[in-house]
Amino acid sequence: MLVLARKTGESIVINDNIIIKVLDSSSGQVRLGIEAPATIPVHRQEIYQRIIDENKKAAAKTPTDLDQLNNLFTSLETNKG
Amino acid sequence: MDNAAPINPPEEELIKVRSSRFGTLEIKSDHVITMTRPFLGFPESTSFFLIPHSDNSPLMWIHSLDDPDLAFVVISHTNLPFSYQPEISTAITRELDTNRDEELELLLILTIPRGDTNEITVNLLGPIIINSEKKLARQLVLDAGQYNPCHPLFPQA
Repeated sequence: MLVLARKTGESIVINDNIIIKVLDSSSGQVRLGIEAPATIPVHRQEIYQRIIDENKKAAAKTPTDLDQLNNLFTSLETNKG
Repeated sequence: MDNAAPINPPEEELIKVRSSRFGTLEIKSDHVITMTRPFLGFPESTSFFLIPHSDNSPLMWIHSLDDPDLAFVVISHTNLPFSYQPEISTAITRELDTNRDEELELLLILTIPRGDTNEITVNLLGPIIINSEKKLARQLVLDAGQYNPCHPLFPQA
């Protein structure tokens, strides 16, 4: 892993078009400002982890028999119509 | 009344797929969906196909061709019992080889605990976006401030 030391107000540049600036830091928390093209998604890493966790749960738990759930949808449709 | 039957219908190539849930399946090669990015947490699987639960059912399986164990139950966003219309960036529509939002459909992954339909949740944070025409799909990562990865499917039913 590349390690760089930065002071408040200093930045790093990734790939010529992504700038990450240290806005301030206090009591163990760092605030970062990120400038990136709209096509580059920027997310907190925990968000990915939440989706990974949910994907794993969905893939592991699902029973093969979906008839009960299917009937529930059918009854909802009937109520709507 | 079969006067219009083609003499030599084009042969569709069938692919045999192993599934731990459904045994050996045969699917048409032009039904294979390529993930432009794999599902988060499952980097090895890039080819999938859809199996409807039954005729007229909103429930479908999206099943891996690479991993016999990997399948998710999904529904179209149009079958959700509430409105769901996240904004899709042009970078995503481009990645799925279209410039028309209408060609894209959102599928939502359900988490279905055994036995209790009241505990079923739907992943609104990481929907699947699919270009059905070109058979391209990927999982999106939306704004966690707005969307819940385990939203109850039937809240207070």
